[in-house]
Amino acid sequence: MPTIQIFDPALCCSTGVCGVDVDQTLVNFAADLNWAKQNGAQIERFNLAQQPLNFAENTTVKAFLERSGQEALPLILVDGEVAMAGRYPNRTELARWAGMTDARNEQNKSPCCSGPC
Amino acid sequence: MHFLDQPPRHLFFTGKGGVGKTSIACATAVQLAAAGKRVLLVSTDPASNVGQVFGEHIGNQITAIPAVPKLSALEIDPQAAAQAYRDRIVGPVRGVLPDAVVKGIEEQLSGACTTEIAAFDEFTALLVNATLTADYEHIVFDTAPTGHTIRLLQLPGAWSGFLEAGKGDASCLGPLAGLEKQRTQYQAAVAALADPQRTRLVLVARAQRATLHEVARTHHELAAIGLTQQYLVINGVLSLETTEHDPLAVAIQQREQSALAAMPQTLQALPCDQIALKPFNLVGLAALRQLLTTTIPSNDAEAINLPTQLDAPALSSLVDAIAVDGHGLVMLMGKGGVGKTTLAAAIAVDLALRGLPVHLTTSDPAAHLAETLEGSLPNLIVSRIDPHAETERYRKHILNTKGARLDAEGRALLEEDLRSPCTEEIAVFQAFSRIIREAGKQFVIMDTAPTGHTLLLLDATGAYHRDVTRQMGATSLHYTTPMMQLQDPKQTKVLIATLAETTPVLEAANLQTDLRRAGIEPWAWIINNSVAAAQPTSALLRQRAYNELPEIQQVATRHAQRYAVVPLLQQEPVGINRLRDLGGHRHRDGEVEGGATASRAENSIDTSPLYGNT
Repeated sequence: MPTIQIFDPALCCSTGVCGVDVDQTLVNFAADLNWAKQNGAQIERFNLAQQPLNFAENTTVKAFLERSGQEALPLILVDGEVAMAGRYPNRTELARWAGMTDARNEQNKSPCCSGPC
Repeated sequence: MHFLDQPPRHLFFTGKGGVGKTSIACATAVQLAAAGKRVLLVSTDPASNVGQVFGEHIGNQITAIPAVPKLSALEIDPQAAAQAYRDRIVGPVRGVLPDAVVKGIEEQLSGACTTEIAAFDEFTALLVNATLTADYEHIVFDTAPTGHTIRLLQLPGAWSGFLEAGKGDASCLGPLAGLEKQRTQYQAAVAALADPQRTRLVLVARAQRATLHEVARTHHELAAIGLTQQYLVINGVLSLETTEHDPLAVAIQQREQSALAAMPQTLQALPCDQIALKPFNLVGLAALRQLLTTTIPSNDAEAINLPTQLDAPALSSLVDAIAVDGHGLVMLMGKGGVGKTTLAAAIAVDLALRGLPVHLTTSDPAAHLAETLEGSLPNLIVSRIDPHAETERYRKHILNTKGARLDAEGRALLEEDLRSPCTEEIAVFQAFSRIIREAGKQFVIMDTAPTGHTLLLLDATGAYHRDVTRQMGATSLHYTTPMMQLQDPKQTKVLIATLAETTPVLEAANLQTDLRRAGIEPWAWIINNSVAAAQPTSALLRQRAYNELPEIQQVATRHAQRYAVVPLLQQEPVGINRLRDLGGHRHRDGEVEGGATASRAENSIDTSPLYGNT
């Protein structure tokens, strides 16, 4: 199974609840990540504020930081290669990278409207 | 002393700042050492002064106290611990990652959570690391003020629970990158705390109604997290034989006795000791050795050369200057227990009685504002930022908005994160910024939380300021952040409250230094509960009054731009009339006692002798 690595910008915490305002994207992603893990995806997450060494020791990530700066994070690597940068993936993308094919989970990824569709 | 009877290995002293935890912890350590025990004294107070008490520089290393055989001491400075933690994380990547990136990381690690977690980390090691403490038979902890202590002690339980739940990443606990590795250590710390064979908790209080109620709350909170072996010490009790018909001493003695008689039932069940009020300050070894003895060396009241009237500005003189602007933010700052709540209420009442619109509010976790201000005035709004209620509201708000579309798993994860210690800081800070915006059109009088907490709040304000500035970028939008408002003397007056005693004055001076570092210049100092300003007649109180004089002089000449002295009153300053009296207004003829000195208070520094020839 492929390994997905998420390199976060410097966050107080991964859901972002510690910030002055809560970032909805981070809240959603924390849930998506948890969902993907539950479904067997192999995902590692690194926070620049807490594990900077993981950024420094990975040549791809280090070069990315030097070229684009921390504003360009997050950076997502799949098996060491850049899969996405600048935004967080959704469930479909996570599922594709992880090689998951469970259609039932796909449908649950996000509601298409607030009422019954 | 019951609390010294067959003490277990760990002794914790907890209570509001200013009740004498440090002195009692020091005296306990000295006594145990004198009994031949090898003792380690640990201070986790953000404003630690154990070094000052022993006249020895201690700091963040276990240091032997030469004057006391078998005694060593250690001060855990939460700020220094946080810095060491930052260095550990950032050090290896400095020069490796781009400078801007490294700076960003450092800023993220400068928050409240990092400080708390780093301090706790050191504290834990002392409880569970056998090699570190093998040399000592007793470890005496002089802990931080109540609210902080509780959080600190609650943390291990919360953390263990979090990790056991095993839901997703330990996100908010992330600052502890090595948390998982130390899991057993944290669990062992919880076990050590909750084990009555190993740990005794001593609640320290004064014989004051509000203080005793607060201690009762602390008792419940700590008992709920497993610290059931608790003792109670009432410090600084005025004994009947020392009152000598001094009306002030008699009033204090009666007030204290009725407070003790009305002590909450849960406290009455605890083993209790009383420590008599001493005529001396508890600095130096000789004073410490006398603290836990019952005999009081008595002096001749007449022999204490105390002039009849203290020539120092009254609180009303400061209010005169505050009133001129017609609106603004007035913040009382200082260590817990110096009477910020009462002083804030007195200033608010004085302004309201002048017909000015006033909003009095407090964010002190240990507030009893509602109890202090019994009564109401037409221009006066009283509100309270209840940290607990604010945190609950914030949690609900986040769950209902940001968490609305999450599935059950995601929601559980978010809820887990909202239980972090940072959440309370943020919730209180947000409530606080809502209210200070009102200061443009009326007076907002705030009584802030104890020192350590206050500084954390300011830190949060500063981070918010930087955040807003960053987001606004180069756009020329007009905006004011709460931090900018606090730094602007036209909008905000910061008043430092203290007592005329060595340690409180030192702590207030440290607070002033910290505020200046944050770009805030305190506008005035208030010396509260002054015995010297109350003209006592008994030997004990006259001696205490005499001891206050050099401290008041220090404040007047060295620390404060302007200052006021508030006397210790015969009756507790509850209700509008007594709060008004506190300001120096005379009841009978409405003449303002502080009027004569008001103009002097306007000058930058008062170097005149404290006592006139009157």
